[in-house]
Amino acid sequence: MSNQKKRNFQIEAFKHRVVVDPKYAEKTWSVLEHAIHEIYNHNASGLSFEELYRNAYNMVLHKFGEKLYSGLVTTMTAHLKEISKSIEAAQGGLFLEELNRKWNDHNKALQMIRDILMYMDRTYIPNAHKTPVHELGLNLWRDNVIHSSKIQSRLLSMLLELVHKERTGEVIDRGLMRNIIKMLMDLGSSVYQEDFEKPFLEVSAEFYMGESQKFIECCDCGDYLKKAEIRLNEEIERVTHYLDVKSEVKITNVVEKEMIASHMMRLVHMENSGLVNMLLDDKYEDLGRMYNLFRRVPNGLSTIRDVMTSHLREIGKQLVTDAEKLKDPVEFVQRLLDEKDKYDNIISQAFCNDKTFQNALNSSFEYFINLNNRSPEFISLFVDDKLRKGLKGVSEEEVEIILDKVMMLFRYLQEKDVFEKYYKQHLAKRLLSGKTVSDDAERSLIVKLKTECGYQFTSKLEGMFTDMKTSQDTMQGFYSSHLELTDGPTLVVQVLTTGSWPTQPSITCNLPAEMSALCEKFRSYYLGTHTGRRLSWQTNMGTADIKATFGKGQKHELNVSTYQMCVLMLFNNADRLSYKEIEQATGIPASDLKRCLQSMACVKGKNVLRKEPMSKDIGEEDALLVNDKFTSKFYKVKIGTVVAQKETEPEKLETRQRVEEDRKPQIEAAIVRIMKSRRVLDHNNIIAEVTKQLQSRFLANPTEIKKRIESLIERDFLERDNNDRKLYRYLA
Amino acid sequence: MPLVCLSSPEGIEALCSDLGVDYTDVRILMLAWKLKAEKQGYFTQDEWQTGLKALGVDSLTKLKKALPELEKEVEEPSNYEDFYIYAFQYCLTEEKQKSVDIESICELLNLVLGVQFRPQVDSLVEYLKVQNDYKVINADQWINFLRFCKEISFPDLENYDATQAWPLILDNFVEWMREKQS
Repeated sequence: MSNQKKRNFQIEAFKHRVVVDPKYAEKTWSVLEHAIHEIYNHNASGLSFEELYRNAYNMVLHKFGEKLYSGLVTTMTAHLKEISKSIEAAQGGLFLEELNRKWNDHNKALQMIRDILMYMDRTYIPNAHKTPVHELGLNLWRDNVIHSSKIQSRLLSMLLELVHKERTGEVIDRGLMRNIIKMLMDLGSSVYQEDFEKPFLEVSAEFYMGESQKFIECCDCGDYLKKAEIRLNEEIERVTHYLDVKSEVKITNVVEKEMIASHMMRLVHMENSGLVNMLLDDKYEDLGRMYNLFRRVPNGLSTIRDVMTSHLREIGKQLVTDAEKLKDPVEFVQRLLDEKDKYDNIISQAFCNDKTFQNALNSSFEYFINLNNRSPEFISLFVDDKLRKGLKGVSEEEVEIILDKVMMLFRYLQEKDVFEKYYKQHLAKRLLSGKTVSDDAERSLIVKLKTECGYQFTSKLEGMFTDMKTSQDTMQGFYSSHLELTDGPTLVVQVLTTGSWPTQPSITCNLPAEMSALCEKFRSYYLGTHTGRRLSWQTNMGTADIKATFGKGQKHELNVSTYQMCVLMLFNNADRLSYKEIEQATGIPASDLKRCLQSMACVKGKNVLRKEPMSKDIGEEDALLVNDKFTSKFYKVKIGTVVAQKETEPEKLETRQRVEEDRKPQIEAAIVRIMKSRRVLDHNNIIAEVTKQLQSRFLANPTEIKKRIESLIERDFLERDNNDRKLYRYLA
Repeated sequence: MPLVCLSSPEGIEALCSDLGVDYTDVRILMLAWKLKAEKQGYFTQDEWQTGLKALGVDSLTKLKKALPELEKEVEEPSNYEDFYIYAFQYCLTEEKQKSVDIESICELLNLVLGVQFRPQVDSLVEYLKVQNDYKVINADQWINFLRFCKEISFPDLENYDATQAWPLILDNFVEWMREKQS
């Protein structure tokens, strides 16, 4: 055959109509129908896949797809109805098991059937727009089994019953639940939702409504929250084990609503165990739990925040208005710091450092600190105490921490200029008496104030430090150019630049001769090197160390004020002096003199003088003598002057008045600055801008601003607009 | 007809009696305004002649007859504020003076606003006499008195807003009135 010419074989179609045996379709269908029966009866092993596939293929090919399809539907439906009956017949708990088993069977059968009918699935079905086999199988299951009247409600109630059992603590077959639920999910999300999820959520809502009611009656807040948290976690776990993951947010919403949102106010305000009690007792765990649960519900966190804020404000208000607590400024400020620490801890430990809570804390502190107009003074006194002795022996980091805490309180002050005034006074006293524990700490605080308030705030304070340093140099220069004085009394002068130091009334008294001569020498020396300056001695601010020998030969070194020195030196030339004689000789103002004498004659352990009569107060008819019997354990005796560190009432008034006076030019300067740049501005805007500009120093009073505006109008800096009298215009 | 030169207070007093008008009558003030007289109690020759021309009179009798018309002219809204301000400035007798003492202000208020705003003037005068924040009134405060009478309903003071740009003295006045009323 190898040499024969090759001929292509061509297959031609039959030229006549091929008639297929009409019974062919019937026969073929029966085979397939039989196969389906066998498959459902678990007899598939005897079947030939290839033969069945071919049969189905042929049917479709010969245009019998319709018959095949409808046959499939009918057959499958009949089987499913049978299956349905057997499931219905199952008793009690076996119902779900039977359902599950039959479902698995059906899926397996469906798979095989689909494989057999694959050709139809791919050709006839799309062309005829019919439901594909697999989907058809699911739909038929749904309609004939799940939605059969005897099964549908029974299935749902069984599922819900199992969930309820689990909620009450029983163990259930989770695997079975998972399979059943998965079956519903496979049948379509609408089946899952309608046949299970919706009713599940409703029933859950009822359940939790009851639960929460029961608990709220008998539990305290902390316990209730624990229970709520447990339930919430339970539900989440339930979802991961046997529900659709999309149900998680829905069921947690139900729990949140029923257990938390509905009872939110009652929980927060629960007597003896609510939020306020938790705050007072630093119950971090309970507070943290409350935060985590409440953040899940609308307004949860804002509720906690509001209650915390009003509680804080209440406590703060009590703190700053309690007369008892106000007696000791240092204690007062320490209490404020402690309270702040407490709440800082609560917010960081229990409230996740939530910024909105931090803000609420800050605004509460700002509110009540400024309720007491002595707060600026007290904070300065606290700092004073720390810098005098409180910080002794404290490490550098500790110092920084304490100063930072003070700065934090300072920031809350509305009247920062009042603080500045007191701080200056206290700093002056510290510097002049050499009583500061740490220069570094002083400087560090100045730097912090500068960072906070700008250069202007601290420039004068820095000037004070400079004066102290310069004075040291001046003294060195004085003594090195006056070597003849080294044997006499030692003079130490601090030259204070008037603008930098707190204003003092300049009162001089009559110094003892030796001292006044020495002072004159210093004055000429100083003015010799600094022209155009004027020196005035502040005798009310100085101190002196005197060596004294008493009647029995006791020697002591007395550390006294300048005034006291003047008085004592008089007794070098007289044994007994009347009050009036002392007053005349020294020229010390009466109130100061009385205090001065009192501290030397009426204070135990410091009574270097004796008074006749021996009353407690100094009367103008009294006489004073040296106390020859004076004794003290110490060689060096410090005689302070009877003076209160805290301001007296009239002093307080005076300081406040000065502060008010100082504010006027600042307000005017702000008004002029603003008007100069804006040219024309209406009343409300001026008030707002001026207030904003001055905010870092003090809270400007709108009435005061108005007064200043009127004053500026009178002095022709501003005018009112002719047409709109609410507008002001800058006059160049 | 050239009239007698009235460069003195006595001259003006004489003029007043000739016109049959009291020296303190508001119409004399109105005349001063019309004449644009600069100095209180004096009319210069120039002011007198220019003013009479403006009034369209050349004799005392005609002047007397012209007074009611003058009143009407002053009361016209376009002139009234001008007249009101003039009344204040007329009281600034010293060279650098910017304010007028309370006593005089009270009299001036009576004179100038008394007819149109009697209740306001009575209360305001009473207040000015009892308060002691201010011893004198300046031009800004003066003009705002008129504004007050025109804009603020009285005596209920319903529409007075202290946060607006009213001078402080009026804020205090309103507060005083409200306290009295309660």
